[in-house]
Formats: sequence, C-alpha cells, structure tokens
Amino acid sequence: MLVELTVNGESRSANVPPETTLLKMLREYLGLTGAKLGCDVGDCGTCTVIVDGVSVNSCLMLAGRADGCDVTTIEGLATADELHPLQQKFEEHGALQCGFCGPGMLISAKNLLDTNPEPSVFEVRDALAGNLCRCTGYTKIIEAVIEAGEMMNQEQATV
Amino acid sequence: MATRVKDVQTNVEDLVTAREARAPSRQPLAVPIDQPVTFPLELPESEARLRTPAVGQRATRPDGRLHGLGQTQYIDDITFPHMLHAKILRSEYAHARIVSIDTSEAEKMPGVIATLTGAEVPENSFGPTYQDQPILAYPIARHRGDGVAAVAATTEQFALDALEKIRVEYEPLPAVFDPLEALEDDSPKVHGGDTNIYTSKVIKKGDVEAGLAASDHVFERRFSTQMVEHVPLEPHATIASWDGNGRVSIWSSLGRITLGREDLARTLQMPQSRIRLIGTVVGGNFGGKNEITNEPIVALLSRKSRRPVKAIYSRGDEFVSSTIRHPFIMDYTTGVDNEGRILARKIRLVLDGGAYCSWTGTTIGKGSILAPGPYNIDNVLVEAYAVYTNKTTTGAMRGFGAPQVCFAYESQMDDMADALGIDPLEIRLRNGFSENSLSPTGQSLQSVALKESLTQAADRFRWKEWQA
Amino acid sequence: MKKRGRGMACMWYPIGFTVAANPSAATVKVNTDGTATLLTGTVETGQGALTVLAQIAAETLGLATDDVHVVSGDTDVTPMDTGAIASRTTYVTGNAIVRAAEKARDILFEAAAPLLNVKPEQLEVRDRRIQVLGFPARSVAIDKVVHHSETVLGNPAIGSASYNPPTVDMDPETGQGKPFNTYVYATQIADVEVDDETGEVEILKIVAVHDCGTPINPMLVEGQIQGGISMGVGFALQEEILFEEGRQINPNLTNYIMPTSLDMPDIEVGLVDNYDPTGPFGAKGAGEPTAVPTAACIMNAIYDAVGVRITALPATAERVLTAINEKRAAEQADAA
Repeated sequence: MLVELTVNGESRSANVPPETTLLKMLREYLGLTGAKLGCDVGDCGTCTVIVDGVSVNSCLMLAGRADGCDVTTIEGLATADELHPLQQKFEEHGALQCGFCGPGMLISAKNLLDTNPEPSVFEVRDALAGNLCRCTGYTKIIEAVIEAGEMMNQEQATV
Repeated sequence: MATRVKDVQTNVEDLVTAREARAPSRQPLAVPIDQPVTFPLELPESEARLRTPAVGQRATRPDGRLHGLGQTQYIDDITFPHMLHAKILRSEYAHARIVSIDTSEAEKMPGVIATLTGAEVPENSFGPTYQDQPILAYPIARHRGDGVAAVAATTEQFALDALEKIRVEYEPLPAVFDPLEALEDDSPKVHGGDTNIYTSKVIKKGDVEAGLAASDHVFERRFSTQMVEHVPLEPHATIASWDGNGRVSIWSSLGRITLGREDLARTLQMPQSRIRLIGTVVGGNFGGKNEITNEPIVALLSRKSRRPVKAIYSRGDEFVSSTIRHPFIMDYTTGVDNEGRILARKIRLVLDGGAYCSWTGTTIGKGSILAPGPYNIDNVLVEAYAVYTNKTTTGAMRGFGAPQVCFAYESQMDDMADALGIDPLEIRLRNGFSENSLSPTGQSLQSVALKESLTQAADRFRWKEWQA
Repeated sequence: MKKRGRGMACMWYPIGFTVAANPSAATVKVNTDGTATLLTGTVETGQGALTVLAQIAAETLGLATDDVHVVSGDTDVTPMDTGAIASRTTYVTGNAIVRAAEKARDILFEAAAPLLNVKPEQLEVRDRRIQVLGFPARSVAIDKVVHHSETVLGNPAIGSASYNPPTVDMDPETGQGKPFNTYVYATQIADVEVDDETGEVEILKIVAVHDCGTPINPMLVEGQIQGGISMGVGFALQEEILFEEGRQINPNLTNYIMPTSLDMPDIEVGLVDNYDPTGPFGAKGAGEPTAVPTAACIMNAIYDAVGVRITALPATAERVLTAINEKRAAEQADAA
C-alpha cells in the first residue's frame, strides 16, 4: 500500500506491505534509522517519534495509520547550521552514554517542551517515564531538558 | 488528528494482525530516498575540549553529539545489499537430549537460504574460563535459552516462520533449578559427573573459629539475591560477511574484540588473520556483551548462504539466552567485641551458575575476595561454591558479585551497630581500611580512600544531624 | 503511614582482572600539524571511554582533548586490548596510552633539543608547545617539531606500548596473594520513605561519594555514578527474573520492571580527592563500583524506617510488607 507522510517537514512516500509498522517504514523504506527497535512492544521508548503532535511508539503503529500525518523524528531536530537546544544541552551535560535511548528520549523531551515550555522536574520525569535508559540514571537527561527549556524560552523572549 | 493517533496507539489488534499477517507480498520494495537527511557539519567545539591541560576537563563526547543527532550507526542501522536475517530456535526443555533435528521443511519455506545446527559448528564450544557452552546445543540442551538451530532468510519474518517448521525430537532429562538442591548428591547433574559444583574458592586468614570464640557477640544471618538482567537498550547484534579471499568481517556488539576474535578462530577453526572483528558503537553492555553469543552462528550462516547475514536478538532472546547476574546465597557469621571491632568473619557463598560457566570464575573470585567488606579483620574464612542449574547462564554483570556481597556485609554491619548501640558511621570508621591495611588475601592496600568517602558522604548528607 | 529512614553502605572494588593477565596495548601517532591519532582495541560501550582515553593521550602530549582523534575497536586496525570489562579501561588502557604517547613525545624531545639548545631530558610539553623545564620562555610549537622530525629528520612521532597490572597469584588453599594492583572505595547514603501499610519504598535521595583516583573527566564520572545507582535501585527494589520449571516467565520489559525516570531519586555526587601513583595521572576507575553499595544502603534505610531487615532482594512492596507484618505479629506475641 502507498503511504504518504510529511516527515520532518518534507513529503515522503513509500509502497509498503500493509503490516509494516511506522518504525519499519521510517528505518527501512525512508532511510531514517534514528528511531531504534529496542523491544518491539512499546515498553522501552527507543522508537518514539511525534505524529501530529503526539509522541508515539512507532513500533506499535502501523505505517498505514500514519498516512497523511505529520511525523517528526530525531533527524528533524537539528538544522544544517545548528543543533536543537535539547541536542546542545544533552551534549554539554554528557546526558547520553551508550546513546541507544537518545533519539526516543530527545523526541519525548521535545514533545514535552513543545506543549509545556517551563516544565517542573517532576513533569520532566513524568514525560520521560516511557523512555527507558539503562546507562545514565536519567539525572543528566533531566538537567539537560530543564536547561534546554530555559534556553528556548530565552530565545523566544529575545525574538 | 491527535485523537486519531491515540486510537491507533491503543489498538493492539492492529499489531497482532500485523504480526500474524502471512501475505506473500512481504519482500521489501526498494524505494529511492528522495531527500537526504540534513545534519549540521560545522559546529563549534565545547570549551572544555579545547583547553589544556586535558586531564580534569569536563570534555564533551564527539560520539555523544552523534547519539543526539540520531547519526550513530549501531549494528541494526547497518545494511548490506542482499543481506539476510537470522533467527535462532531455542530449546523446548530445560534439560534434554536432542535425538534429531530436521530442518528440511524449514528449508522449503519462502525466503529461506540457509539453516544451521550444532553438529555443523566446527568447534561447538566456547566460554571465557571453561569452554563448556555450545554455540548451538547438540546433543544436550541444558537450559531453555540454548539455541538448537538457526535460519537465515531474506526477511526476519521469513526466518521466524521457518523456525516453526524445524522438527526437533527431544528426550527430556531430569533437571535441577535450585542451587542448594543442585549441591545435593542425588540431584540431576547438569554436565554429568558426580557434582554440579564447577568452581570454588577459599580465602583463609588467621583462625576464624578462635576469633569467633573470643568475640563478645556473634551475629549470624543468611542473605540471598535474585537473577537480574543487564537490559542493554540495544540487544545483542551481529553482521557477518565473507569475501572472495575467504576472510570474514564481523560487526559485533561485543565489548572485547581481541579475545572475541580468538574465540571465533577457535569455534570456526580458522586463522585469526582471516577474521576481522569490528566492535561498533555498543548500545549498552554492563557485562552482558563480554563473550561471543551469536557471532559464530551468523558467520557460518553467511558462509553457507554466501551472503551478508544480520542477527539482532529480540528482547526475549536477550533475557533468556544472554547471560544474567548470579543469584548468591550468603551465610554470614561475624564476631565483634563490645566496642564493635570485628574479630572474625566466616562466610559461605553459593552462586547459582545457571547452565554454563561463562564469567563465573571471575565472579566467584571477586565475590570471595570482597565478601568480608572493606574492614580490618584478622580472622577470615570465605568458602564459595558455584553450581550448575538448568537455568539461564549467569555471567559478568557490573560488579562481578560485589553488589551481592556488599548487600550482605553492609546489612550485617548495621545489624551489629544497632545491637551494640553504635552509630552506623562510627562502626564503619572503627573497622574500615586505611592506608597499608591488609586485605583478606594479605595484600597491603595503597591509595585507600574509604574513610574519606564515609566522612564526606556523611557531611554531605548531614548524617550527624539525622542521628541526633 | 509513611516512615522516613536513612541508611549508609560503603564498599571496596578492584580494578582489572583477578590475578589473570589483562593487558592493553596502544599506538599514538602525532600528526605534522600537532594533532594526534590514538589507536586502541577497546570498544566504546557507552561510558565515554574513548573521550577519557583521548584526554589521557592529550595530557601526555601537552595537547587539548579535541586535538586527539581516537580510532577503536577493529581487529584489522587497532592493537590488542582485553576490552571494556572489569572497570579496567581508564587504568589499564590508560596506562598503555601514557606509555605509548611518552614514546612519541620522546621522539619529539630528541628533535626539539637541538632547536632549543638543551638536552632532551630538559624538555616538557605544555599548551601545544615543547618548552625547557624551568625556563618556559624558551619553547617551540609542537607542530613545528613534529613537522621537522618527520619531514627533515625522517623520524615520525609514533609510539606503541602496552600495560598489564602486576599481580601475585593466590594460594589455592588460603587465597593469599595480590589479585589486583589497585582498588577504589565508596560510600552511598540513602534517604527513603516506607509506607508501612503497603510496603512501598520511595527513595528520596542518595548521596554518593566515590574514589576513582584522579577523575580524568569529572562529568563522565558523575554519569557513571548516577547510572550505577539506577542499576542499584533496580537490584534493590524492582528487578527479578522469575522462573517456572526453568522457564523465564517475565522475559520482557512489561513484566521485568527496571527503573524509569520516575523511580530515580535526587542524587548528590561527591568525589574523594585521591591520587593513585600507579594509574594514568593518578586515575583508577569508575565503571562497576558505582552500582555496588546502592542496594545495601537502601536496605539499611528501610531498616531504619520500619525496623525490618530485608534479607532477600529485591525488596518489593510485597516482601517489605510481609516483613513488617511478621514483625508486628512477633511484637504482639511478645506482648501477650
């Protein structure tokens, strides 16, 4: 079946078997390998992407159900010139270790900051609870998200 | 639109349908990638990376930047033309003799290019200490995580479908699951012979019985710990590919490639110079990726199929077939004087080794040496035994037995402090190692910072205020 | 009712293999522009080892971290290494790198000495320059020296070396011996709240003070400690593979519960000021020991809160509640 999406602001399409998940379509048909397969049943969050403003486990969503939707993956965060504030703060804090959870974690964090520009520490913890990380204890991730939020708010204020 | 997405997320039926679909149209269709991904290429480096002296700087990680961009290539992100996907069939029994394996029906399945059984592995054994573990079990399976056959097919789903067509005839054998039962004479023996104990360790210093007899108080307790999985977010992953010179290149999530290549040369019976082992960026290790697992299987399937082959463990494979942390049963008997000074400590450790040795040699060694705790004790006896059971293989995991024994020795320190009315901080400072202390193995210790860590932690926590 | 409790645990942990040889080798090449390439056979498994190793090479050569590019983990390219195991990378691989970089540096000292009119042993590296000991005003930029050495003298600045921690085998009867060359030490203290009606344990805070010798990169050491604590929290309260007749019944992340961001307490990290003369620039290691005392301090905090000694991990709510109920029953029996 033909699935047409907007991915990171660009129209993309692929002809996929009907049982193809959105994760598989992104990784194998569109060459976007940022989102990862960690458990295949929606427990770990490494496959998280944003679909029409909602962060979803793309391993649980059929590609066909995302037809016509607007999808944001980790590859859509940075521009050709600069990192997204979240990426910058994650790097500065050493918030990722093995990095396998990173793309999903950053996408969940982006979705949080998009909807709640000044989250409390608890709200950050809550928003990231579906993204497992085995390396970091989440400490530096949470610090990075809070700082990225502050940075984005300052940028907004100066615009 | 947003509600539609939520509906989809909760609709598990879609997922089941997807998994169970048996449509013949499953060959991936090649679709040109119309737009390349845009990444920033020239970003300023963090100050800390540019400063000298380099040591002590909070230098950021170049690999960390790529992780955040989604640009890091883990093994599952790497593909080659004509690459196949391998899946492994696991034992139906915790302990069984494999009478026969018939892969003929599986080989007729769509997309299947090659199969493999243990009988085809040139040297079907491996292990960092003892080579007691098969690459694919044959003729005995010793736990349910043992692989018994593997399939390489053009898609993962074809490989999974084909696994169901492999016919394995088993003769079930008596199994043992409890490590204490496994110690008994009449227990089933996991590897034959007359005992399930496969490694032991003794640490003896002074005279523990005399020390206990001279003590004002003697504390006894049994502690036990559970089986724990490493849970690296990236499951074990391998790609193997042969070239026209008879060399095989293997991309692996292994954390120790030098010894890994030795293991591969041994199991594949080929010169090390013909094996290239590439340790890619690993998505978490914690000790679970310190021995070969599916690398020889994938290499042999690649040779048979003459194609690159990739194998990614499912999360289930990761739990049942990779190694996990040793459960410990720990009997602690400690004698102290009225001031809480430890005079003697007698410890018996039983390690549930699971079906194969793996890194048990290191775990029992470190566990035994560390078991008395970081304390000056003149009379010490540690006796430790590792036993086979028909369960998941226990191996290296962050701390090699240290978290287990620390739970026991530190719990008992507080038991003693409580009974004697001494502050937990004080009893540790009174007994703790300092520079030139002698360890339980008689080693003179240098650069000891135990008491500094105790006092700094207590200060930061404001421990004394809480105890007041 | 929720009850607060505090508990501490300390530990010791060795660096490297138990007695067994576990060498690392390294090659360092200084490029003609003063940057350098480090070849190591270890593998980055997430700890940031390659950054730490770059810092060690850079320090030995008087360069900045960013000047050193690390090539790792390819048996066709990189020298042998025992690998990312046993908290050995900073110490063992780091020591090999210091020795390899020193060899490359010595080549540069040979080339620089006549340029500066002194003997090679009178030289040191600092801030990308080779300078005279005790007279820093006389110095030359390192890139000029490398270029001179390689293209004029024909002596490229490459060094290779290995390191293996010295140990003494253990007596099979008594275990007496020197199984490791060095150890690290740590203390963690937990502040918990235990609900004595449900047995549920909430960890409010953990203070962790670790010795790793010189922290080559304090940020990465903190990351190890925070991550180790999360693994310790799972070991203490949540994680357990359950079996039924040899079959795992929870081999998935739905039923095998590991800590999420909501389960982690606030963590305060402290590093002990320590220097091990046998390690690279005084460093030891930080990987595994961070996970060692966590469960122990949490169990002691539970004891402090509700007076029950948990003897079997994990301390699930069910297990803690059972222990509380047993204690109450025993107290009532005593009273009666």
